[in-house]
Amino acid sequence: MIVLDRCTKYFHRGSVNEVLALNDLSLEIKDGDFITVIGSNGAGKSTLLNALAGSFILDNGSIAIHDQNVTNWPEYRRAKLIARVFQDPLLGTCPSATIEQNMALALRRGKTRGLGNWIKAGERERFREDLSTIGLGLEDRLQDSVGLLSGGQRQALTMLMATLVRPEVLLLDEHIAALDPKTAGQILMLTREIVSEQSLTTLMITHNMKHAIEFGNRLIMLHQGRIILDVDGDAKTTLTVDDLLQQFYRVQGEELANDSMLLT
Amino acid sequence: MTIYAALGALEQGLVYGIMVIGVYLTFRILDFPDLTVDGSLPLGASISAVAITSGMNPYLSLIFALLGGFIAGTVTAILNTKFKILHLLASILTMIALYSINIRIMGGPNIALLGADTVFDPIIALGVAPHLASVLVFALFAVLVMASVIWFLKTEFGQAVLATGDNPQMIISQGVNTHLIIIVGVGLSNGLVALSGALVAQNQGAADVGMGIGTIIAGLASVIVGETVFGSNSIARAIIAAVLGSVVYRLAIALALGLEFGGFAFSPSDLNLITALLVITALITPKIKARLIAR
Amino acid sequence: MKKLLMILCAATVMLATSALAGPSVISVNQFVEHPALDAVLKGIQDYLKDNSVDAEFKVHNAQANMGTATQIGQQMIGEKSDLLIAIATPSAQATAQALSKAPADMKRPFLFTAVTDPVAAGLVEAFDKPSEYITGVSDLLPVEKHLEMITTYKPGIKKLAILYNAGEANSKAVVATVKELSSTFGFEVVEATAPKTADVYAAAKSLVGRCDAVFIPTDNTIVAALESVIKVGTQNKLPIFCADVDSVARGAVAAMGFDYYKHGYQTGAMVQKILGGTSPKSLPVEFQEELQLHINLKSAAAMGAPAPEALLKTASKIYE
Repeated sequence: MIVLDRCTKYFHRGSVNEVLALNDLSLEIKDGDFITVIGSNGAGKSTLLNALAGSFILDNGSIAIHDQNVTNWPEYRRAKLIARVFQDPLLGTCPSATIEQNMALALRRGKTRGLGNWIKAGERERFREDLSTIGLGLEDRLQDSVGLLSGGQRQALTMLMATLVRPEVLLLDEHIAALDPKTAGQILMLTREIVSEQSLTTLMITHNMKHAIEFGNRLIMLHQGRIILDVDGDAKTTLTVDDLLQQFYRVQGEELANDSMLLT
Repeated sequence: MTIYAALGALEQGLVYGIMVIGVYLTFRILDFPDLTVDGSLPLGASISAVAITSGMNPYLSLIFALLGGFIAGTVTAILNTKFKILHLLASILTMIALYSINIRIMGGPNIALLGADTVFDPIIALGVAPHLASVLVFALFAVLVMASVIWFLKTEFGQAVLATGDNPQMIISQGVNTHLIIIVGVGLSNGLVALSGALVAQNQGAADVGMGIGTIIAGLASVIVGETVFGSNSIARAIIAAVLGSVVYRLAIALALGLEFGGFAFSPSDLNLITALLVITALITPKIKARLIAR
Repeated sequence: MKKLLMILCAATVMLATSALAGPSVISVNQFVEHPALDAVLKGIQDYLKDNSVDAEFKVHNAQANMGTATQIGQQMIGEKSDLLIAIATPSAQATAQALSKAPADMKRPFLFTAVTDPVAAGLVEAFDKPSEYITGVSDLLPVEKHLEMITTYKPGIKKLAILYNAGEANSKAVVATVKELSSTFGFEVVEATAPKTADVYAAAKSLVGRCDAVFIPTDNTIVAALESVIKVGTQNKLPIFCADVDSVARGAVAAMGFDYYKHGYQTGAMVQKILGGTSPKSLPVEFQEELQLHINLKSAAAMGAPAPEALLKTASKIYE
């Protein structure tokens, strides 16, 4: 179980641009939860994921992963428990390195890296097998430089790399938003497969209300740094887009003037 | 150009090639512009000179020189990672401080090594002429350093170093402490530069506090010439290109210094201008080539 | 008849080849430009001219930079001239190093000049033991004579400062001797060093209030930036004494020193001998004998150090 307890984070504290990104937010994530995260721009979705990952230190509150208090752990230390796929498809892989080098790096996530050879016996074969499961033909291109791949291919690779070492939680930050519809669909299918096969605890941010409803067992909606809606189980499966909008009005009692929410 | 001048350029190219590998490590691999080298080259020279004149074995003095350079590099890296000082500024600060430190180490702005023990003695004792002994010794060291660095970059740690310079966010998410990587990387780079300085001092018969001025320029020029002429597709190729680039750079300098157009001749103080022109040429040539091919 | 023809032919050929042989080529590694060192070079050139020795000079200036001096040393070996000359200790050391590493067929005779202590600098084993390729003329100061002059000029002086570049072996040697003699003369030694010409002004200023007078040995770095020291001296009524007479013309109060033109002239004689075929091995290091006292009255007044009658009488040259 992953517990966020009363987390608060300000950005640009004390200046004219001060923003309260997380406002006393608490969240309990059970093992195996696949949570879709929605909310308007600036609601705090990415901030929530970044707080979990350790990209910054909270101003207040605590985070525990399986009873381990990671609140003050730097990002690289939490990485052995957390896997991330970013919105920018280029951010998850090293362009100057080859596919197999990237995978070798990911295989060692969270482990001390010593002076042994960068790849060990049998790993290449394993990479080939894993790559063949995503069906992009990358298993024949192990020695190709990742910089030569398209955004979609790199994102697929990032997804695969994220799960070479089983993470306690998988963080997906709008990971298909920058891809064309066809590739986005492929990556989304890949996500569903990987998460269900390995029963990964997952948080997925999406702007797409349909995806938010279709995927996962739980849905949370953020607004101004707080969770204003938390639905799971049957209540979630029977949700419609209209329901979500109405829930929003009900909790906040205000007009929702966000185009992107209405148009999806 | 005479054989003597060419041999001299080869000798310089090889010994400074070790420095160029160091510059390649920071400038290209870690994406960390590091001016510390202008101070760590004479640091290595000072440490080695003081050690030798105090009776230490010249080969042993090299190890201390390397250590000194390593420490200087870590200072710059710590200023940058822990104290958030811009890398360029941090390196300048360390470089400036090293000027005074080097004078303290030597007890003055220079130490003469005329007639002192050097790493060339065992080779000369075998009967090799002095001007060939230095080329041989430097070639051996250059090969040793190249092989070590190429091996290092193929280890797990080395791959993390490459990734840190290529995509820091990615490697952080893979659990690597990039601050540590940068500290070790910049330290290693300056260690190599200091080693180079120690060898240069033993060759030229003196360690002088000002001998490092322009090191970063020479290093960058050599890296760029090496990449342009020899390519940098793989790690091994890039490291070897660094040393070869250094040799080509020194050959070009020697050629320029030997030129005479009707009364005008370059003097050693024109070196900076010649280097700048060389780097500009090396940077522009690929672009001109591409344009000509496009037509 | 045939024999005469043959002799005539041989003579013509010999004359032709010696004419084609041309002037001797001399490469010079001068450490820095200042009047004393420039005078040395002129002295050498004038001696050769006066003695009808045909010589072409390739003069390189290191601009007071050790790295440049090293580069010039190597370049000069490549020039394959008939004789190498280095003016001042740092250039001499750089040239000696380049010479030691040169292949046998490129080695040439090497003369140092204006070098204070060639033994301490590592150029020769002993003054009377020059090596196969290296010998020269030393401007070793009889330090005692300088200190005698200074203590006569300013009797009862308590603190004498020495301004020098700790990186010049020549200066280090003189400073050591001054320190040894300081108790005999009854003063305390204060030191200030400047590693390069740009630092001379600050070093000079650091001596204000810490001493009664400043002595500058034959230090190339300080002498190259002498004007800045003179400025400090005049502004603070601090007398500046030098060890070379050219500095008095530039503003030092007084100096007991060599005429560096004569130093060069003396070197020229050695040059002629070596070009004529004498090996450096048979030419022990020479010294300059005559010391001259020069006094600059204008500076004396400006720096608050009026010249005593006794010294004025013995002075070889007095600047008004």
